[in-house]
Amino acid sequence: MNIKNEVLVRVYIVLFFMCLIAMLIFGRAIQISVFEGEKWRSQGNEEHRRYRNVEAERGNILTENGDLLATSLPFFDLAFDPLSTGMTNDDWKFNIDSLSYCLAAFVNPDYTPGGWKFKLEQARLDSNRYIQLKRNATLAEKEFIASFPLFKLGGYRGGLIVRQHYERETPFGMLADRTIGYVRPLEGDTTYIGLEGHFNDVLAGEAGRELMYRVGSKHWMPVHNLTKIEPKPGRDIVTTIDINIQDIAENALLEAMQKHQAKRGSAIVMDVETGAIRAIANIGQRRNGKYWEIYNDAIGTATEPGSTYKLAAIMALLEDGLIELEDSIDLEGGVSQFYEEELVDAVAHGLDTTTVWRAFEVSSNVGIAKLVHENYGLTGQGDKFIKKLKQFHLNFKTGIEIDGEPKPYVKEAYSEEDDWSGTTLPWMSIGYEVTVTPLQLLTFYNAVANDGKMMKPQLVKEVQQYGETVEKFPAVQIKGRIASKNTIAKAKRLLEGVVENGTARKYKSDRYRFAGKTGTAQKDYKKLGDIVSVGGYQASFAGYFPAEKPKYSCIVVISEPQVGGYYGGSVALPIFKKIADKTFATDVDLFKALNGAQKPILARNQLPDYDVGHRQDVQTVLSYLKIPFETRTSNEWSVIRATEADSLKLLKRTISEEKVPNVVGMGIRDALYILENLGLNVEIQGYGRVKQQSIRPGTRVHGQTIRIRMG
Amino acid sequence: MARRDIGKSIDWMTFSIYLGLIAVGWMMIFTVGYGKGYPTSFSGFMGTTVGKQTIWIVVSLVIFQLIQFIEWKVWRTFASLIYLISMLGLILVIPFGATIKGATSWYQFGGFSIQPSEFAKFGTCIAVAGYLSTYGVTMRDLKSQIASIGIFAVPMGLILLQPDAGSALVFFGFFILLFRAGFPVNFFIVSLIGATLLTLGLVNPPEQIMLWLFILALLILVLNLKNKLWLLGILALAGGSYYFIKQGLTNIAIMTNLSIFILFGGYQWYQKQQRTVSLLLFGLIASGILVFASNFAFNQLDGHQQERIKVWLKPEECDPQGAAYNLVQSKMAIGSGGWTGKGFTKGNLTQGNFVPEQVTDFIFSTAGEEQGFVGSFAIIALFWLLLMRIIFIAERQRNEFSKYYAYGVAGILFIHVLINIGMTMGLMPIIGIPLPFISKGGSSLLGFTLLLSVLLKLDSQRYSS
Repeated sequence: MNIKNEVLVRVYIVLFFMCLIAMLIFGRAIQISVFEGEKWRSQGNEEHRRYRNVEAERGNILTENGDLLATSLPFFDLAFDPLSTGMTNDDWKFNIDSLSYCLAAFVNPDYTPGGWKFKLEQARLDSNRYIQLKRNATLAEKEFIASFPLFKLGGYRGGLIVRQHYERETPFGMLADRTIGYVRPLEGDTTYIGLEGHFNDVLAGEAGRELMYRVGSKHWMPVHNLTKIEPKPGRDIVTTIDINIQDIAENALLEAMQKHQAKRGSAIVMDVETGAIRAIANIGQRRNGKYWEIYNDAIGTATEPGSTYKLAAIMALLEDGLIELEDSIDLEGGVSQFYEEELVDAVAHGLDTTTVWRAFEVSSNVGIAKLVHENYGLTGQGDKFIKKLKQFHLNFKTGIEIDGEPKPYVKEAYSEEDDWSGTTLPWMSIGYEVTVTPLQLLTFYNAVANDGKMMKPQLVKEVQQYGETVEKFPAVQIKGRIASKNTIAKAKRLLEGVVENGTARKYKSDRYRFAGKTGTAQKDYKKLGDIVSVGGYQASFAGYFPAEKPKYSCIVVISEPQVGGYYGGSVALPIFKKIADKTFATDVDLFKALNGAQKPILARNQLPDYDVGHRQDVQTVLSYLKIPFETRTSNEWSVIRATEADSLKLLKRTISEEKVPNVVGMGIRDALYILENLGLNVEIQGYGRVKQQSIRPGTRVHGQTIRIRMG
Repeated sequence: MARRDIGKSIDWMTFSIYLGLIAVGWMMIFTVGYGKGYPTSFSGFMGTTVGKQTIWIVVSLVIFQLIQFIEWKVWRTFASLIYLISMLGLILVIPFGATIKGATSWYQFGGFSIQPSEFAKFGTCIAVAGYLSTYGVTMRDLKSQIASIGIFAVPMGLILLQPDAGSALVFFGFFILLFRAGFPVNFFIVSLIGATLLTLGLVNPPEQIMLWLFILALLILVLNLKNKLWLLGILALAGGSYYFIKQGLTNIAIMTNLSIFILFGGYQWYQKQQRTVSLLLFGLIASGILVFASNFAFNQLDGHQQERIKVWLKPEECDPQGAAYNLVQSKMAIGSGGWTGKGFTKGNLTQGNFVPEQVTDFIFSTAGEEQGFVGSFAIIALFWLLLMRIIFIAERQRNEFSKYYAYGVAGILFIHVLINIGMTMGLMPIIGIPLPFISKGGSSLLGFTLLLSVLLKLDSQRYSS
C-alpha cells in the first residue's frame, strides 16, 4: 500500500467510525423514544403522580371514667414551595422580606433573615419546590407558622405545604402499658399487641386518599382538588380500667418486684359483680435490671399455680359430698409418701391429726393431696374429679379481649396421652400437673366471691365516637352457678379462715376483712435420682375484699423472687394487701359516707333570711336559682324566711301608705322607691341591705328626713 | 492567489450549523427555566440562567468575528506559547481556583467563572497540530509518537489533579488526529482489544471471560486446519461451556477448555505451528492479566464508584431511585417524548426539574422530551453534519498544520458528542462533560467557539501560503 492509499484508507476509517457511532446513537434514540416510548411515558406519569393514603386519626383508649390511656396527637411537617402555582410575582416580592424575618425569628434561627431570604430566592431560582421548614410541629406551632406573611394567603397562593401525621402517646406511661399494647407495622408483618391490637379495626379508622405530585427526587405535594377522600377517624374504646386502682396496683407491684428482685410479676383487680377488670399490671425485668411492662403474663402465661389451686380441689370434694370441713385428717407431720414420690408441706406446721379446715388454712400439701387421693384416686374415680374442675370452668379460656390467651391445661382422666399416673390426682390437687393463667384463676376466685356466679373478665365496656356511645359491651355471665350454694359458702369460710388463722393471718387487718389463699409453686422442678433441682419459685395470692360483701377480687403472681423470701404469704400477699388497703381507702363505695346522716342545719347561714323584696321579683329569682320555696302571702311585698334546712317561705310584709313602713331587709332600690313615694327625704349610709331605719315603723309621715343604714 | 475577502471565503455551511446548534441550546435552556416563570423586566431576565447564556452567546459571536481579523499565521507561530499559557492556566487553578462540587476547576471573577480546561483543549489542539506539522516529525518514529502523545497527556494529568476525570477523558479525542497522521494501526487494534477486555473485566466474572477466550483461541487454531468439520467441535464446546456456566459449574468448564487447549495447542506446536501457538499463548496470558487486574481494581473501588460503573454496564442491577436515578430520569424524559415530543415548554419532567443537571450534562434529554425523536434526530444529524464537514474541510487543507488542527477539532467534538449523548441514553458511563454549543456554560461555549472560529479562519486562508 502506498502512502497515498494508506492516507485514504485512514480517512475512510475515521469517517466510517464516526458514521457508525452516529448510527448507534441514532438507533438508541429510536429505541428509547419510539419502541420503548410507551413504557417510559407511563413510568414517567407513575413516578410523578400517585395516590397517597391519608392517615386517619386513631381512636383513643379511655379509662372507665374517660381519662386518656392512649391517644393520638397530630404533628405536622411543614415545608415551603416557592413556585406554588397560585403565587404571583407580587405576592413574592411583597412578602419575602417579612416572611424571611419571621422564619429567622420563630422557626430556625440558624439563618439570619437575610440568610433565609437568600435561601428562599435561591430555591426559587433552582426550581427547588420543597424547602423543609419544620418537622413534627405541634398544632399550635403549625397554626402560628401558617399565619406568617405569604403563608397566610393560603392554599396554592401561600405555598405552605402541610403534612400531618399522628404520634401515639400513653399519658400514664407504664400504667397498663402492655395491656394497652401497640400496633407496629413492619414490612409485611404487623405486630398487634394488647387492646391496640385486638381493637385495631375499631381504633384505626379508614385511611383517606389524595392525589400527590412529585416536586423533587424525594418530595411529594398534595394536589388540592375534589378527588381527595377525607380519612375517617377511628373510634374510641372505653376500658373498664380504673386509673386510680391501676396506679395503686402497678406501684405496689413495682415496689415488691424491686424489693424481691423478681423476674416477672402480675396483678389483676377485678370487679366482683361484673367481671370488669379495674387494674391489670404486668412487670418484668429487662436485661439491664430495670422494670417495665414487658409481657402480659396476667393473660398470656399459664403456669402451674400451686396452692391457690387447692380451693378447686377442696370445692370438688365438698361438691361431691365426700368430706366435711370438720372431718379429721392425719397430716403425718407434713411428710407423706405417694407411691415413689414423697410429698412435703411447704411450711412446717408440726400438725398430725387435725380438721380439713385447718389443713386448708395451713395449706397442707399432704392434707389436700391425701383427701383427693383417698376419695378419688383410690376409688378409681379420677374422672369425677376432672369433671368437677370442668364444672368450675378451669379448663376454658376466659375469652378476654386480648389476643394470645393460652388454654388452661387440665389432664383428661386416665389419659395416656396426658401421662396420667397414680400421683397425678394428688399433685393436681395442690396445683401441679395443671396450668392456668393468673386471669383464669382469678375468674374462678371471683366466681366464688360472687356467690358462685362466674363473670367473664372484661376490659372494654364500650365503643364511642365523638363522645357518643356506639356500641356497648354489657357484663357477660359465663355460668350462673359453678357450685352449690353450700359449697360456695364453705369455700368462702375457708378463704376467710386462711386470713383469720392460716397462712395469711400476719396481714389481717382490723379495718376490713379480706379472704384469699396463698400459693407457693416450684418452677421447673427436676428430680434426678437423689438430686432435686428447683428452677425458682412462683409466689401468689388470690382473694377478694371486703370479705362480707366482696367488691373486688384480686390476684398477685410473682415469678422467681430472688431476695426476701419466696412464699406466697410473704411476697405476693403484701402486694395484695397494699392494693386492698389503698383501694379500700380511696373507693367511696366501700365506706359509709360521712355525710350520709341528716345534713347539719347550716343552711340558714347561706340562704337569704329576713330579706325583704317585691314578691314577684323574689319568686322569679328563687325559681331561676331553683331554690324551693313556699309562698304564704299574696301581698305585693314579702319577707323571706329560711326556717327549714333547705326550703324558704315567703311571708307577708305589709307596707302602709300613710305610715312609715318597715324597710329593714330591703335592698336600696325597693327602700328608696317606697320611702320617697311617701314624701320622705332619705339619707343613705353604707351599702348592702337596710339594717336600721331612723324613724320607727308606724310613725305618721309628714315629710321628715329618714336615715337608713345599710350593711 | 490573491487574498480573498473574509465574507466570501468563510465556510458558511459550518458557520450555519454552529449558529443552529447555539440556537437549539438557547431554546433548551430557555424551556428548562420556563417552568419557574421569567421576570418581566429586562435586567431580571438577564439574571436568569438563559439570560446569562444569552450574554455568553453574544460574547462568543463577537470573539468569533474578532478571530477572523487575526492573521492566520499567528496560531502556527505562537503554538508553543499558547500551549504554555493554557498549561499555566491549568497549573494555577489548583492553588487559586474555586472548588465547586469537589473539583477545583474554576477561576472566579466577580459574577462569572472560567474553566481553564475548556481553553486547554484549544491550546493543546494547536500544539499537537503544530508539532505534527514540524519538519522531521513522523509517526513512524517512536520518539515522535511518544512526544505527540505527551503533548496532550500533560493537560490530562493536570486536569486529573483538579480532579475532573470527565474533562481529562476528552483528550483521548486526539487519537483520531494521531490516527490520521499515520500512527501505527497495531497500536489502535491492541488498545481497542485491551480496552474491551478491561471493560468486560469490570463487572463480569474474569474466569468466564477467560473461558470464552480459550474457545476463541481454539477457534483460531481450528481455522488453520483443512478439515472444516472441526468447527462443529468448537461449536459443541461453546454450547457445552454455556450450559455448564448456567449450571454453576464454571470451574469444570474452564478446566475442560484449558486441557483441550493445551492438548490441541501442543499438537499444533508439534505440527510446526509454533508461531501461531506462541502468539495465542502470549495473547491469552496478557488478556488474563488485564481481565483479572481490571476485576481486582473494580473491587478496590468505593461502593459509589462501583455503582457508577454498574449503572453503565449493568443498569438493570441498579436502584432506579439511587445510583441509576439520573439515567432513569433521563431515559424517561427522552422516552416520554415519543415521535414528536410534548412541545416546547410543555415537558413535565423538564419543567418539574426532575432530571438533574438538565441545562448542562443532561440537556439532550430536554430536547428528547419536548421535541421527541424528531428533535433528538435533528441534534444528532447537526453534529454528524458538522463532523463530516470538518473532515471534509481538513482534507482540503494544503498545509499540514491546518489539516491536523481540523482533525483535532473533529476529534474533540466527536468525543464530547459521543459521551454526552451516549450517557443520556445509557450507552456511555455518566461522565460530566458538556454537549458542545448546546449545554449551558460560558467557558465551554467560548472554548468550542475558539476551536471552530480558528478552524474557519485557517480554512479561509487555505490558498494562502
